[in-house]
Amino acid sequence: MHVNVWHEVAESNLGKAGLFLIGLMVALAVFAPILSPYSPRENTDAPAFSRPSEDHWLGTNDARQDIWTQLIYGARTSLAVGFGVALLSAFISILIGGTAAIFGGVYDRFWMRIVDATIAIPDVIVIILVAAYFRPNVLLMILLLSALSWPGGARVIRAQTLTLKERMHVSAARTFGAGWSHLLIHHIIPDLGPILIAIMIQDARRAVFMEAGLSFLGISDPSMMSWGKMMQYARVFTYLEVWKWWLLPTGLALSLTLIGLSFTGFALESALDPRLRDGAKGHKGGI
Amino acid sequence: MEDLQTRHLENPKVGWNFEKATARAVAVLRRGAFFSNYLIAFAIILILNFALPRMMPGDPLQAIYGEEALLAMTPQLEAELIARLSLDQSMGQQFASYIIALLSGDLGHSYYYNQQVLAVILDFLPWTLLLTGTALVISTLAGLVLGVESGYKRGRNLDKTLLAGLMFLNGFPDFFMGIVLLLVFGVVLGLVPLSGALTPYSGLEGPHLALDILHHLLAPLAALVLVRITSSYLLTRNTMITTLKENFILTARAKGCSEGQIKYRHAGRNSLLPVVTATGLMIPHLITGALFVEIVFSYPGVGWLLYNALLTRDYPLIQGILLMVTVAVLVVNLLVDILYQKLDPRVSHAR
Repeated sequence: MHVNVWHEVAESNLGKAGLFLIGLMVALAVFAPILSPYSPRENTDAPAFSRPSEDHWLGTNDARQDIWTQLIYGARTSLAVGFGVALLSAFISILIGGTAAIFGGVYDRFWMRIVDATIAIPDVIVIILVAAYFRPNVLLMILLLSALSWPGGARVIRAQTLTLKERMHVSAARTFGAGWSHLLIHHIIPDLGPILIAIMIQDARRAVFMEAGLSFLGISDPSMMSWGKMMQYARVFTYLEVWKWWLLPTGLALSLTLIGLSFTGFALESALDPRLRDGAKGHKGGI
Repeated sequence: MEDLQTRHLENPKVGWNFEKATARAVAVLRRGAFFSNYLIAFAIILILNFALPRMMPGDPLQAIYGEEALLAMTPQLEAELIARLSLDQSMGQQFASYIIALLSGDLGHSYYYNQQVLAVILDFLPWTLLLTGTALVISTLAGLVLGVESGYKRGRNLDKTLLAGLMFLNGFPDFFMGIVLLLVFGVVLGLVPLSGALTPYSGLEGPHLALDILHHLLAPLAALVLVRITSSYLLTRNTMITTLKENFILTARAKGCSEGQIKYRHAGRNSLLPVVTATGLMIPHLITGALFVEIVFSYPGVGWLLYNALLTRDYPLIQGILLMVTVAVLVVNLLVDILYQKLDPRVSHAR
């Protein structure tokens, strides 16, 4: 039975909510300059700590900067890091997981050992240590996060490639002498489809979370606005009332992005897992 | 023992048995491979700790101890440190002396606390253990129970509410959940203390001290549990859904087992294995979550220590924490693997 995975994701309530949230955040990030007349670092004319008003939807912070503007520009950093890590990490996962499955033998065992070992390493602390030595910027952050997040995906892709390897079209290509890169690009990746997307969503979610957490600790690109950094600054002023329109909306924007990603990921995974699909009568994927 | 002897009598094959010997050899190898994961992870951290400061341009001593420490540096101390770290020798010898120092429990010296790194970490460790330990147990157990109930009622209102609600909570990063709880219950309602793990200089003893500690623990613990409950919940729910379709559940129903028995003794039990495995995989995330939550609540654990080390650029301390946390994660994973073998009769009989 052929199942249209995407159709099921769009049908399920969780999937709808997730896609909506992701779309919302992407729209905020893309249209940031249209949605706000200010720039995120501009010191506006309003007094510091002013309450939300028509000119400043979320008020201003201690440096008279518009909080709403910072919030939507912060979405750019989060989404850029999430998207960058998802792409790079998926690329490494396919390269390692796919080739491990195709070649097998010692090569396979070597990489799987590395994968098992890396999964047990506490990634936040490794990044903190590296960032303590090097000046953190967005590119370094994407590289580091990808270096620590590919193993999970590599394991899934290896397992998937092992079954794909036995299919007719792959065997046919192999008899014609196709190399591993040809096999990967023309035969394995197209068939991975939704699974690959599920892995990328998971990686992106983790990356957005980590970027916010690290910048909350003060490890962030000094030239970029970021939700974690905003929360770090705002946290100092909890004795004032400003947290209601500074700290909370920022945290909520971050949480909603993460929720959007995990809802979509969950809907996708339940659509992919035949055991979880069609349980109760008239029940379609997820809830 | 008796079992073995009777088996010997029934099947008196004296001497060397090729099949058994290979099976045993394979088992030993597998056990070795199983440990080697932990060894590799540990080695990666060791190499990272060793190589990072030495890769930096400039004076390695500065990279190892941080700029602040060098303010108090005398030529005598400098000579001593260079000798201790073998910085005047080859990389190989430097690595050897690094390992030897580690083996004797010397993780370096923290200039900010003016104490051995190990001693500093051990001072802060109990609070982190208390926080993560209780969070792990509570979130796993609650996840199991909620997952069983939700999976049993799949597609009904209870299931839908729980699934959406817990997935929603899971979206919150630990530190934001901590901030929200701190603001609501600490700042607005004044129900929980804003920082610390106990009231300083209170002179409390016995049960009062325990209550005070619990009072301080409540909010950080709630933040961790609310976010972390979802993974064991989802796994249990998924396992419940698949298990409930199996024939033995039909048999149990036909026998007239009560709902509670079917839910927990027949179906729920099957969720234990995946949940235990996932718990092992979740521990690094839980520990990092705890680090963030500690920072939000100024809870004097390793996370708070790490944050301060980062602010004061106390490099030896950051490295020491990385090493200790990795060891902790690996040890817990090892314990989980052993527990897994005890829980799953198939694994232990395969030996």
